[in-house]
Formats: sequence, C-alpha cells, structure tokens
Amino acid sequence: MSSQTAPAPAPTPNSTRRSPMTAAARRRLAMGLLFISPWILGFAVFGAYPIVMAVYYSFCDYDVLRDAVWVGPLNYTDMWADDLFWKALWNTAVYAAFSVPLGLMLALVVAVMLNRPIAGRSFFRTFFYIPSIVPLVAVAMVWMWVFNGETGLLNYGLSLVGIEGPQWMADEAWTKPTLILSSVWQIGGAMVLFLAGLQDVPRSLYESAEIDGASPLRQFWNITVPMVSPVLYFNLIMGIIGSVQEFVKPFVMMPGGGENRSALLFAVYIYQNAFEYNNMGYACAMAVVLFLIVLTLTWLATKAMGRHVYYAGE
Amino acid sequence: MGSLCRLYWISLVLAAAVCMAACDARESQYTDDGRLVVSYWEHWSGFEKEAMQAVVDDFNASQDRLFVKMLSVSQLEQKIILATAGGRPPDVVGLWTRNIASYAEKGALTPLGPYLRRHGIEAQDYIPGLWKQVNYRGFTWGLPSTPASVGLHWNKRLFREAGLDPDRPPATLQELDAMNERLTVVRVQRGGQAQEVRYADLTEAEKNARDFTIIRMGFSPHEPGWWKSTHGFWFGAELWDGERAITCDTPENVAAFAWYAGFPKKFGVDNLKKFGANFGASFASPQNPFLDERVAMVLQGVWMHNFIDQFAPQMQWGAAPFPSSDPDTRSYVTHLDCDVLCVPKGALNADAGFEFIAFVQQQENIEKLAMGHRKFSPRATCSQAFIDNHPHPYIQVFIDLAQSPHARSQPQMPVWVEYNEELMAAADRVFGQVAEPREALQYVQHRMQWKFDRSNKRWELTGDARLEAWAQADQAAAAKEGSP
Amino acid sequence: MKRPFHQLARFLLLTAGSVLFIVPLLWMVSTAVKPLDQTMSLPPRWLPTATTWVLEGQAVEVNPGAVPAEAGPDTLVSVNLAYQWVVQREGPNGPVRVPVKMRGDPQDEQVTVEINHRWQWVRGEGSRAQRSPVRLTVPDANAPPLAPGTARVAVIAPDGSLRRRVVPEAQLERVWGQTPDQVNRSYSVTQTVQVPRGELQRAYVPWNDRRDLAYTEMETRSAAYGQLSSRVDLRTDNFGGAVRSMGHFWRYLTNTLTLCLLTVGGTVVSCSLVAYGFSRIDWPGRDKVFLVVLGTMMIPFPVIMVPLYGVFRDLGWIGSLKPLWVPTLFASAFNVFLLRQFFMTIPRELSEAARIDGCSELRIFAQIVLPLAKPAITVVALFQFLATWNDFLGPLIYLTDQKDFTLALGLQFFQSEAGGTQWHHLMAASTLVVAPVILLFFLAQRVFIEGVSMSGLKG
Repeated sequence: MSSQTAPAPAPTPNSTRRSPMTAAARRRLAMGLLFISPWILGFAVFGAYPIVMAVYYSFCDYDVLRDAVWVGPLNYTDMWADDLFWKALWNTAVYAAFSVPLGLMLALVVAVMLNRPIAGRSFFRTFFYIPSIVPLVAVAMVWMWVFNGETGLLNYGLSLVGIEGPQWMADEAWTKPTLILSSVWQIGGAMVLFLAGLQDVPRSLYESAEIDGASPLRQFWNITVPMVSPVLYFNLIMGIIGSVQEFVKPFVMMPGGGENRSALLFAVYIYQNAFEYNNMGYACAMAVVLFLIVLTLTWLATKAMGRHVYYAGE
Repeated sequence: MGSLCRLYWISLVLAAAVCMAACDARESQYTDDGRLVVSYWEHWSGFEKEAMQAVVDDFNASQDRLFVKMLSVSQLEQKIILATAGGRPPDVVGLWTRNIASYAEKGALTPLGPYLRRHGIEAQDYIPGLWKQVNYRGFTWGLPSTPASVGLHWNKRLFREAGLDPDRPPATLQELDAMNERLTVVRVQRGGQAQEVRYADLTEAEKNARDFTIIRMGFSPHEPGWWKSTHGFWFGAELWDGERAITCDTPENVAAFAWYAGFPKKFGVDNLKKFGANFGASFASPQNPFLDERVAMVLQGVWMHNFIDQFAPQMQWGAAPFPSSDPDTRSYVTHLDCDVLCVPKGALNADAGFEFIAFVQQQENIEKLAMGHRKFSPRATCSQAFIDNHPHPYIQVFIDLAQSPHARSQPQMPVWVEYNEELMAAADRVFGQVAEPREALQYVQHRMQWKFDRSNKRWELTGDARLEAWAQADQAAAAKEGSP
Repeated sequence: MKRPFHQLARFLLLTAGSVLFIVPLLWMVSTAVKPLDQTMSLPPRWLPTATTWVLEGQAVEVNPGAVPAEAGPDTLVSVNLAYQWVVQREGPNGPVRVPVKMRGDPQDEQVTVEINHRWQWVRGEGSRAQRSPVRLTVPDANAPPLAPGTARVAVIAPDGSLRRRVVPEAQLERVWGQTPDQVNRSYSVTQTVQVPRGELQRAYVPWNDRRDLAYTEMETRSAAYGQLSSRVDLRTDNFGGAVRSMGHFWRYLTNTLTLCLLTVGGTVVSCSLVAYGFSRIDWPGRDKVFLVVLGTMMIPFPVIMVPLYGVFRDLGWIGSLKPLWVPTLFASAFNVFLLRQFFMTIPRELSEAARIDGCSELRIFAQIVLPLAKPAITVVALFQFLATWNDFLGPLIYLTDQKDFTLALGLQFFQSEAGGTQWHHLMAASTLVVAPVILLFFLAQRVFIEGVSMSGLKG
C-alpha cells in the first residue's frame, strides 16, 4: 500500500519547458521510447491497426475469404433494421444493469463485513475470492449443473422452502436472471479491492463519528463510501467493460442465445456474425457500436462519479 | 551508449524469435516410409468415424504413395472456414450438403469438374436428389459419402398396449394425431388420487384444464426436434423459389407450423417442456425417450436402427414413411440429407485428396462405409449383397424414400445456416405460444428475404468474376489433362 | 451490549455467504466422484454410495429401488441388478470368460449369440513382448501365395501409417472383447455363433459399472432389506474416465502449460521493460503516453476480434498457438500499469546513484530495479498464468486442430459432445481444469490478495 503515499516523480525542469531539448533530455527521450518500444509496436499491430480496420470493415461487405467490398453505411442501416441486434443490445443492457450494481453492492458489503476483526477472517476471504479465479468455462459447466431445471441443486434448495423453481435455462423469462446470478458469484476480485481500500480508511474517522452518535448506516454512507470511492470508480468501470463484453458463460451455457434468444448477448452475437455466418463486415459494425457504447458509459461514469471520487492524497 | 546497444540486441533477438515463429513454411508432409500425407477432416466421431477409418485404412493399404490421416474435428463448419481463410485447410474435408452453396459462393471449395472427368465419375452414378445437392451454380463441389433419409419409427409393443394394430403405422397426419391421443399417457388427479390415464380417455374438462403430467407420448414433435425447420416438406411446402425469393410464409408452410403449434395447444406448453426437459442430450444413450419407451413414435433417420440395436435390442419396432398431409398426392416424403467429401480451396494436395475421394466412391468401398454407418449407398444402384447383408431390417424403406420424387432437401442457398436458425427460433416461438404461426413465419420471411437479398447483391458484384475463374480453372485442368 | 450481537450476526451472515459461494464448487467435486446413476438422484446425495447384496455367495453391487421409510430388515424391496451372458474361451493366458450379446432364446439347445474379438501380433517374449493390434487381410489375387503357418495382416505403425506384413500365425493372439471400448475398436470383428446352452453362464456385474461393460442386461428382483448393505463409494476412476472421454486431455494440458510458460515469460520481460520506460526514465510526454496505455484497457476484445483475426491470418498463424502467445511479447496495458505502480515506489536515489557511477539504463533495470520488484513481478506472472489458463475466446477463434486445443476449449468441446448425459465425467473434467488454479491460489494466497489490491490503486 506504500505506493499510494509515494511522491509522484518530481517533474524535472526539462520535461516541462517547451524550449529546445537539451542533449540529456533527448537522450532520455530516446531511452524511454526504446524501453517502451515493445508496447508501441504491439499497440500498433494488435491494437491501433485492428481498431482502424474494424472501422473500415464496418463499411464493407467482408467474409475473410473474399476481399472486402466497400458498401458504405449499409451495415449500419441493416443494423438499425435488425431485430436481433436490438434484442442482443437489450439483453446485454439488462444483464449489465443488474449484474454490475448487484456485484458491486455485494462485494462492498462483504468487504465491509470482513474489514473488522472477526474469527476466521482469512477463511471467509478465501471462500469469497476463490470463485473469481475459476476458469469461466468450468464456471459455466458448474452453473449448468446447478441451474438444471430438473435435477439441479438450486431448484432442490428452493423446493425445501416450498418454492417450485423455474426452468432456469429453458424458460425465456429466467435465462437472464440465470446469467446475472452466476455473475454475482464472481465478485471476489472487486471484494478484495474494496477490502484493500477499506484498510486505508483511518480508524479515527469512525471513532469520532461514533462519538457524534452516527448510526452504522450513516457511517457507511458518510465515511465508508466516500473513502473507497476511487476503488468504487475503478470497479464500476471494470464491471461495465467486463459485462458488456460477457461472452463465455452465455456462449457455453445457452448456445445460440438460449430460449427465443433471450440470452443472446452482444459479444455472442458479434461472434456469431463474424465466425458462424461469416458476415465479418456486419460484425465489425457492431463492434464499432460496442466500442462507442463502452466509451460513452465510461465517460458517463466518470462524469457522474468524478466529482464524488475522493483521493486521499489530494 | 552500451546500454542502447544491448537493448537493440535484445530487440533484435526478440524480433528474430518472432520472425522464426512466423516463418514456418507450409509444406507437404511425408510419413517415415515416404508417403505423402493427405490430411482429412471429418465431422463424425464415434462409430461413424470408425466406419470411415476402416475405408481410410483400406485406401492406405491399397497403394504406397499416399497416406490419409483422418482427424475428427469438432465444430467443423466454423473451423474449416477459419482454416481455409487462414490458408491452412486440410486436403479433404467431410461436410454436409447444407454447406455447399455457402462455401462454394465464398470460394472456400475447389470445383471438382476436371477431377470427375479424370476418374469418370458422372451424374447418373448417384441418386438424383443427392447429385443435385452437391452441385451449385453449375459446378460440382463435392461427392456424397453417407446419405440419410428420415422416416417414422414406431414401437409395436406400445401400439399393442394402446389397442392399436402394431403392424399398421399411421397413414395420414390426422391418423397420427389420433393415435397420439391413444398412445399418450398422463397422470391426473382424480378424486384426490393420482391416476395414469390415456389422453384419449380424459374428460373434456380435464383436457381443457391441461392439469396433468405427461408420462408417455405417442408422438412428440420436439423429440428429437431436428427437422423443425423442414416440417413443411410433408405439407408440400417449399422454402424458396429456387432463385431469389424466400417462400416460408406460404399457406403450406403456415399449415406445417400450425400442425406443430397444435401440440402445445393440446397438451400444454409447460407439460411438454417438463416432459422433454432432459431429452436434449440423451440421444445416443439408453435414456433416449424412444428407446426407453417414453415416446412411441419418432421421426428419425435411417441411423436410428443402430441405436435401437445398441441400447434397446429387445424392442419391437417398425419403420415407414412419415405420413404427409395429403397422402393421395404425396407419399414417401422425406428430408434427404447427405455428408459430402470436398476439397477445400487452397488445399496443398488437392489431386491426392481427390484420389482418396474417388476411392471412397467406388461401389464396394462406399457400400462398406454405408454399412458401417448403417445407412444406404448414395449411388443410384447398389449391389444385392449390400441389401441382403444390411443389418437394417427396413433399409429398403429408406432407400425408397431417398429415391422418391418427394424427397426434399434444404435449399441450396448461401444463407441457409441463418435461415435454418431463424426457422428453428420461429418454431420455438410458435411452440411456446408467444407467436402465431403466420406471424412467426412472416417475420422469418421478412428477415431472411432481406439477408438473402444482401447475399445476392454481393454475388452480383463478384459473381461473374468468380464464375469465370471457376470455368478457367476447369479448362486449364482439362488442357493439362489433354497434353500428356 | 449490542456489540457481541452484531459480531455474531456478522459472523453468521459471513458463514452463510461463504457457504453459498463454495457450495457450487463442492457440488462439482461431489458429482465428479459419483456413478452416473446417482448424479441425477433427488434429493441430492453429497456422497455416492454403493449397495451390495450377497447373491450365490458373491457380493454383487446392485441398485435398490425405492425403500419405504419404515422398512425393517425383512421388508421386501425391489432390486435392480446387471449381468452379462458369458462363455468360456481360450485366451493367450488360459481360459477367459467372454461376454456375448444374446441374439436368440437362452432356453434353446443351441443359443445364437454375438461374440467379439480382435487379433494382435506379439513380438518378443515375456514382459518385453510388444503387442500391436492387427487386421487379418483378405488375400488378393495378385499377392504371392503365403507359406503355410503364416498370415497376412495390416498393422498400424507407430507413426500412424498402415503397413501390410506377413507374420507367423504363432505370433498372433486372439483378444476377446471385454468392454465397449475394446469392442468398438476398428479392428475388432463381431461374429454370430451358436453356443450350446450348457456353455452359457450369467455373470453379475457391478450395477454402476454396467455402462462401461459390453452387452450388459438388467433385471429386477426382490430382496429383503436387511440383506443389503450400503457404503460410501467414491468413484475416483471418473477422473480417468473423463481424461479418456476428452480424447486428447494430455495434449490439451501440454498445450495449456506451454502457452502459460510462453505468455508468462513474454509478459514478464516485455511488461517490465515497458513499465521501466514509463516509470524510471523521465522523458517528455511520458505521462500523456501512459494515459493512452491506460486507455487501451478499455478496448473490449470483441471490437478488435475480426481485424485481429485478419492480421494473424496474413501472418499465417491461424491454426497454431502463436496468436495466443506472441502478442504477450509486446506488453499489455494492465500488467504495465501494475508494474509501473510498483516501480514508482522504488527510491529514485538508487538509480541516480547508479547513473552517476556510469551504469547503463539496462543495467540499472536488470540489477537494481528488477530484484527489488520481485513481488510485483510474481503478481504479474500469476495473473498472466491465470489469464492464459482461463482464456477461452482466443483459442476458440485461432485454433482449428483439436490436438492444439487448450484445456478450457477442450472442456467446452467435451461438453458440447457429451453434455447432458455424462454429468459425472463432465464434472470430473471440470474439476481437473479447476483444481490446479485453486491449488495455485492456496500456494500463493498472499501474492494473490496483495496483487489484486495493488491493481486497484488510484485506478
């Protein structure tokens, strides 16, 4: 945690001044660029170029086997008319709208509970964390087994308390809840981050709040949340980016989008168009839309939270 | 500046490593005894693969120049496109006829004209319905390996139990529905007690309430539910006009979907879903609902016999054409499908690959393969010994079905994969009663016509050049043939 | 006064929560050691059991039907058992009992049965003998006549090629079919034969093994409840079964480990170099460029999936492992960020002093910064290992040949082939894929937790 308090490298006079660079600065520039050259090269070939090409292909009819043919905005107008595109978008929106806040909330609550000394603390932490590192394909297998409508553990558990569980993966209304519930299982990463953030909150804040007679809930809202807001912000952004590109679980658990394509998520639809129907151009157009969505959401999140994010050092 | 130098060294080594990794050239492989390795990807696994392996072994033993290495590849349809696009296709690939149009149009396959002439393979060697399927836009793209037609399989014991004549399968769809009511057994609450009753014996009130659990069904349209998109064939429907128009909302297609929708209407969506919840993946197992006698009649392919033999050898069963909506004008309707052997575009050893394909096509070899698959031969004629020795007691039914003028196949159009998916999804919507048959099909009509138009537009842009290239390749090969 | 109550409530909540979190994994492991019949039993059983019944002086594993709640030792319950029809045949090491498929009526004088065998060619003697399966080939007209006592066979050589050989008949051995696995071998031969009724016997087979054995039949009998005994029976051989059913499990594992090695190496080297450039050298515009690096973290993979595929295709890498590891030689934003955060905490005076001494940057990097950054590098290595081990979409797109698959992809392939029926094997396979990750976690728990914490700093 020490890095947080470490001073940022003091700007040397040379790097801030616009005047011609000294020989030493030039040398440092060359050196720095040399060190980061793997990244520059990698970004150019595996990052920037593909993005540019994705935009280009989105205006083409392209199927990898034949050359791309420029068709103008056809893919975009098609997308506008494509019900499945909207459906996939809607499915993804619902998925993200529930799984991200739910996951964040749960992670924060668990972290708060774990933050104070309690017997078996490291055991609890381990149990909550482990699911998040399990390979997603295996996670999908386990959930398919647990959510099985007939012999699944979940429906058995529900039947014990007198509820007849739904056909989770075969009923249109329950496919998205299935995905959302299974995503909540993997909050471990976010939880540990919150935990780290919480440990930097000075105890004295709570003590003085207690003297003032603030209730635990008030303490949570007025002290805990603002103090971990940087972590909250980070987790939110990562959660959004992660959930809009969710692929493995829906792809494995409900191939083809599930019942009436109710679990067809955006990334899966892109994959289908690209590699199953070979409409690569159309897939790229959707990819561009996905990128714009991610940028917008990130911007919105930054805008909404930016004013409230509290950095200890500032 | 020593550090700079060293950094450059490191980068150089890294770059060299990458280049070396990148530059492993594609070249033919040879076995230790100097045979050229012909790579062959096949979608079959299990006993069907073993049957082909036996033919491959025969081929390898028949000469000493070539060695065919067969690989069972999962999700082959995607992998083959990715590999062909990536420039590393196998020399031979075992696909389905449904792939031909799409892959040919995209340029993923090699036209076989010159090879066919060299080996003297002609159209009349094959069952007409199959030959049609391996041709697209005037070129031949593959040769049939194992065909399959589908028919009605019924359980004679259950027929007898229900008071039906065990040797008389339904001849019309109406009869099938009536028999279904007799064969279906449900559990209902009567006077506070659970009773197992035949559906036909339920009171009207009980039928309307649909408050029962299905124990057994006479016929369940989603077991196995593999031909949901082509049920229209039995109603005389066509899925396209053969040119540029999708025709899935014609009255015949709507009638087929309405028939399909009749099942949930009669038996209740949830009851059917519950009954069929675990069917999906149990096909090749003793839990297959037809094999463990939970379903009395199924629409299944010629291969079904093999699974009966393996998992339910005691079963008394029969096979017959699945009844059509109008048996007077249309009898022996079937969905005819076929596996095909193709040479992908850019195959390293196309000639050698075709040599193997031609070997498979010889009568004795294809019959051995068909026997191993428990299917019939795609050739127009087969040997008497083949029929006599065939373990399938009803093989003639399926051969007749395949030869019938009412044998139908999925349309030869490049967007069939999506079309099929849309039809399946529409069938699910109709089954779940979230859409009316006409409405669901009109949606598919609209959506697919749009996609098909796009695909046709694309062909207009590139088609002429492509046709010319194919014709040129053909002529060049023919000229090469003539010169020596 | 409220303190202890709060404490207890918190403890109970946490216990309940962590149980919920761990139950799916336990359920996976539990299913992995069940026989297939018990995977679907309701109410769920956490420990698989085996019920035995002493029958004809022999303990037979059976499947009891429903047992009434108030069953006493004398209550009759129905019991399913499995058996094979067997005949005695002469094997290479004395008589063996061979299962056959009943084709006729077992009451007939001569019963029609199906029997399965294949030939193998034995070279050498004793423990050094080599056996290879062969097929007797039909003599063709052009072949020279065979000497008496020899046979022409087709044999698959170690390189996979097929050869024809003439071998002494004495070196051929007949192997009788035992399991479906052996029966289904392409070289095996099925014959229909007549067997005198007296030679046919029934042999009981363990109920839970019946699917793995050839030609088993089932019957139901009545037994006194007291005669049955139950015990816990963990079917650890499911793991072996899963490995076999997956086909190329060991190839998948080797591929995955190779990839992990390459990507971890590539990431550590490239990311630490780049992070050094972003943290220990002051150059104009550095922090702005670093913002770009951070920005690239926001690019979802599906966005660049298609063009990236095109890039790798043009490089000719499709169908090889290269697209999965070569890019790691060029640093990834997240790991650079992690390392940079750590490098910043190392006092600048150390490198300044070294610079004054005339050390090159590379030397400072290698001899001063890297040794101090070991914890951070371990974290990066661990994360990269996990990322590679868990990656699915990459292998799905770039790998074409099943022998090149990684474990994650192989698992999904297995599921798409065998899903729905073979839950025990599927769960065993999943356990095999998950176990190393969990093991790694326990070995390096501290590194994990600290690593995650590090990654969030000033996100």
